[in-house]
Amino acid sequence: MTEKDYNESVLLYADNVYRFIVKNLRHTEDAEDIVQSAFEKLWIHKDSVETQKAKSYLFTVAYHLLIDHTRKAKRISLQESFENDTQTAYQENKALKKVLHDALATLNETQRSLVLLKDYEGYSYEEIGEITKLTTDQVRVYLHRARLKLRNYLISPQQVL
Amino acid sequence: MQNINQHNYQDFLLRYIDEELDLREIEALLAFVAVHPAVGEELESLQSTKLDIETVTCPNKAVLYKNIFPVIVEPTTIVYPNKQNLFKKEKEKAPVILLKWWAVGAAAVFIFIVARYGMFNGEAGGVLSKNSSSKNIAQKNSIVKAETSTASNATKSNAVVTSESLASTNIVSKQQNITTIPLQSGGFGDVASYHTIQNASTVKASETEHSIPSYNGSIIDVKPTVIAEITAAPIALNEAAETQEPNEIIETLDTEAASSNRSVMVGAFEIDKDKFRGLFRKANALFKNKENNKNEK
Repeated sequence: MTEKDYNESVLLYADNVYRFIVKNLRHTEDAEDIVQSAFEKLWIHKDSVETQKAKSYLFTVAYHLLIDHTRKAKRISLQESFENDTQTAYQENKALKKVLHDALATLNETQRSLVLLKDYEGYSYEEIGEITKLTTDQVRVYLHRARLKLRNYLISPQQVL
Repeated sequence: MQNINQHNYQDFLLRYIDEELDLREIEALLAFVAVHPAVGEELESLQSTKLDIETVTCPNKAVLYKNIFPVIVEPTTIVYPNKQNLFKKEKEKAPVILLKWWAVGAAAVFIFIVARYGMFNGEAGGVLSKNSSSKNIAQKNSIVKAETSTASNATKSNAVVTSESLASTNIVSKQQNITTIPLQSGGFGDVASYHTIQNASTVKASETEHSIPSYNGSIIDVKPTVIAEITAAPIALNEAAETQEPNEIIETLDTEAASSNRSVMVGAFEIDKDKFRGLFRKANALFKNKENNKNEK
């Protein structure tokens, strides 16, 4: 990958990676940090990364950074402060989207990532498996469980009322 | 392909939501859903869990770039319109109108100078006759020498007249067998203005031989020449008030008889004598007119 290819990757995939991270974390500043770290890692290893696989490489790096960040955040126990921080919280404009966004929050990092990778980026089971280091069957099963969980959250009596 | 039934339909539904079914499986599932409405309701509930694609812009994306793309402006060929209007045409050179009289005068002066200082290679020996084209004007240095055989008969005259004066344009040509003397030197085209030696008895002549180099084109030729010295009485001038010192001596430069030679060598050029005389006449007329104008003023 050349410098030009790297810059083209920034142009093409920065928004997508940021969306994936910010939907997971629901924190813009942390999402920016993870995105920058992901692209910095791509720049460092640009000689060993093919241009066609730049997107999957970015999401792989971003996912692992996300997992690391989430685990670190759990130890610090700042999840609730992020939700209440109006300046950094991800803002939902519509009710349905807000409910669904809240439903995503009920998933674990892996399930949430699988849903985001599947719905936002359209990765196949195999590609998601390469990113998350899971097998194809694992991806399918985890994803199905996530959707059923989301459906159950949406049709729960609390949400209906 | 696996058949869809009550035990495996949910897997098909989820795979359908994930867009992991091929066409055959999609048709089969839709057919199964059509038969089982409850499965249809479950499919709709699962579809609500699918996230809509949102457009999110990464903030501060600029910091992610490495070595910002250089803006390369490709050179474009810009053609100036109406370029033809910028060309300048060389001014047409004005035709050179030669003022002939000036050219003739200058040529005559030049030729005279050349001839005067030894470039003349015509018949140096000449005969003063009424056909000669020479004229004396203020001849201080003119020398007229003539040789006559007898003083009384004056049947022969080898008088040769030359003039060293620039103003005097005497051309001396030697002519044998002249039956009459007077020695005449006429101006260019002006028969009246010439000098006349009255009679042969007043002429005294002597002859000496010299080796004088003459210029004949590019060849310097040393020829033995005979110089005849003629001492004549003062020459009467015409109304033009030409002055002349008495005892003018005309010195010959060449004793070769070449009456048939009509050409004059001026430098490397050979000029016809008649034309040569014509130029001199015109130059003389020019100078004469100028002098008259000055005198009138």
